[in-house]
Amino acid sequence: MATDVDPSAEQQDRPLPDERLKEMLGTLMLCRYFDERMEALYRQGRLPGAFYSGRGQEGTHVGTASALRADDSLFPTHRDLSAQLTKGLDLNRVMAQYWGRIDGYLRGRDGNSHIGDWYGNRTFAVMSHLPIAYPVACGAALAYKRAGDDRIALAICGDGSTSNGRWHEALNMSAVFQLPVVWVVNNNQFAYSAPNPVEFHTATIAEKAVAYGMPGVRVDGGEVLEVFEAVRSAVERARNGGGPSLIESVSLRWRGHAGHDPAKYMAPELLEEYMTLHDPVKNFQEKLLSWGVVTKDDIETVSEQIAADFEVAHAFALASPFPEPGDAFLGNWTDDGYWTREPGRGGGTESA
Amino acid sequence: MMANPKVEGAAAGHGAEPRGKRGEDGQATYLIAVAEALWEEMERDERVYMLGEDIGGYGGAFKVTEGFIERFGGDRVMDTPIAEETIVGMAVGSAMEGLRPVAEFQYADFMTSGFDEITTVLSRYHYRAGVPLPVVLRGPSGGGVRASSFHSINPEPWFAYAGGLKIMCPAFPSDAKGLLKSAIRDDNPSMFLEHKWLYRRIKEQVSTDPDFTVPIGKAAVKREGTDLTIVTYGAMVHKALEAADALEEKGVSAEVVDLRTVYPLDEDTVLRSIEKTSRALVLYESYKFLGIGSEVAAIIAERAFEHLDAPVIRLAPPNLPVPFSPTLEDAFLPQVADIEAAADKLAAW
Repeated sequence: MATDVDPSAEQQDRPLPDERLKEMLGTLMLCRYFDERMEALYRQGRLPGAFYSGRGQEGTHVGTASALRADDSLFPTHRDLSAQLTKGLDLNRVMAQYWGRIDGYLRGRDGNSHIGDWYGNRTFAVMSHLPIAYPVACGAALAYKRAGDDRIALAICGDGSTSNGRWHEALNMSAVFQLPVVWVVNNNQFAYSAPNPVEFHTATIAEKAVAYGMPGVRVDGGEVLEVFEAVRSAVERARNGGGPSLIESVSLRWRGHAGHDPAKYMAPELLEEYMTLHDPVKNFQEKLLSWGVVTKDDIETVSEQIAADFEVAHAFALASPFPEPGDAFLGNWTDDGYWTREPGRGGGTESA
Repeated sequence: MMANPKVEGAAAGHGAEPRGKRGEDGQATYLIAVAEALWEEMERDERVYMLGEDIGGYGGAFKVTEGFIERFGGDRVMDTPIAEETIVGMAVGSAMEGLRPVAEFQYADFMTSGFDEITTVLSRYHYRAGVPLPVVLRGPSGGGVRASSFHSINPEPWFAYAGGLKIMCPAFPSDAKGLLKSAIRDDNPSMFLEHKWLYRRIKEQVSTDPDFTVPIGKAAVKREGTDLTIVTYGAMVHKALEAADALEEKGVSAEVVDLRTVYPLDEDTVLRSIEKTSRALVLYESYKFLGIGSEVAAIIAERAFEHLDAPVIRLAPPNLPVPFSPTLEDAFLPQVADIEAAADKLAAW
């Protein structure tokens, strides 16, 4: 909705035009709603498989992915579905993936947020062995550099991943070859049940960047624009030949590791603090209200639309057919042509 | 010897050739055949590039890539840090964006340092998400050169189990050249294991046709016989051929089937030979328990039981580290005399 407010000094500090800010808010609200509803369906026993909540971390995800171009590639984790939705994944097909249907992005070969849409939105299909996609992001970035174009690769992982050897290998490799890549760590303070002090011994993750010879910054994941601006700056650096950067975005994982985990190891006071003070959705709503970019009515309208879209997507998923049982034995080798038939279905549709 | 930056003149129709060259008789060693395959594919398709440790100015631990960086430059002959997980991951990511990487491992032993990226990403990604990954991982495998536990491994069973990699273990220079060219042209991931005992030991006339290839997944009968079949691959093919000559003098006619590709396995060629000879000796250098030959023996039992006149015999090293001392390593690896003894027993059964 357009507003009548005249441009003020405050408005000139805004990093994006109003339309983009509103779009960002809509995405934040969609991600929050999706997360809450899907968890409810999981608890009701209506959602098969697993559910990994990203609630409380939408600022990191939406802020990060909003700084990417459509042709940049994104290498996320199972916690980062909000980043993939921001990148442009279709809600209908996301839901079809959760229900194991043929119209899911991976044609039923994987479920939940282990999702990806390489040929559409340039997102890597998530794998569990985090940070397994970090080295792969190096390779995509290498290809962009080799081609001499200005695309970049961006990978997200959690704080837990920074304890793993591949995280260090990939950061080092990206610095050695000055690859156009951005490393984002969603520090939600817990690796499953392990808090930060069990994972690493430095005060921050961002400071590790020094050891690899790249810039490192730490931002508040509760503030989507703070994340966005840090990532945008790193993306521009990478695009312009300035090499890799590391961004640590701090938030809190509001829910358990997965739907089955009540997260009793988390101090209630910590959770309350983050839900009260660092809620990225609420904080951004309040900011846009105070800036006059949106009204309460606007927010209500967006909420209603999101709820309606969710119902449509849920119905789409349940109406989508299951894959044929025999499909289980196809598509391992390119030779059988499984993935290049029916290009309208999910997954790979281009031959090499 | 100092590297000579001058690129050698036309030989195979490409205006240049790898530093390592054929002998005056025109024969190519196994190592030269591998180098020629890489060179020709690099010339043919600029999407092909190599990455690995010390492959550029140094020319590789075994000098397979000597002379390449002068011809193709550092972008296509990329020296990397020692980081095997990331070497594999980079190969995957660049393949997703249309390049055709060939990653060299200094020894196949170090493929396990990239195990997760190989088995979890490279092997499974196409099945999960439909993105072709034309990646070749290549490196020297196998024992017999007194290189002990960490430079002698036969890793093919570990990676065949992953299910998404085509795995080649050639025994001859022509097969090495033709299979490597096929692997580079294939849209699927592959692992190309060069037996280091063969690098400079075996040579033969090898095609200079730039489009000479050998099909992946096809075994070859390297010696015709009627009394029994030795199914094998890699360096053991040569031991089997030597044993077959000795057996011939004793009146036992042994057929030697060289698998060439161990995954996917060419069951039909194996079974055709068993139908002919009715006796099978499965000889392999990977470990006896759950090695490649275990699967061959199972396939024969399952699909050719009615043709067998004797139980299938397996001859392979135990599941132990490859030892160093000549007495230990020779006892560990199947020798020609062991093959003869096993064949005698099989023929007499």
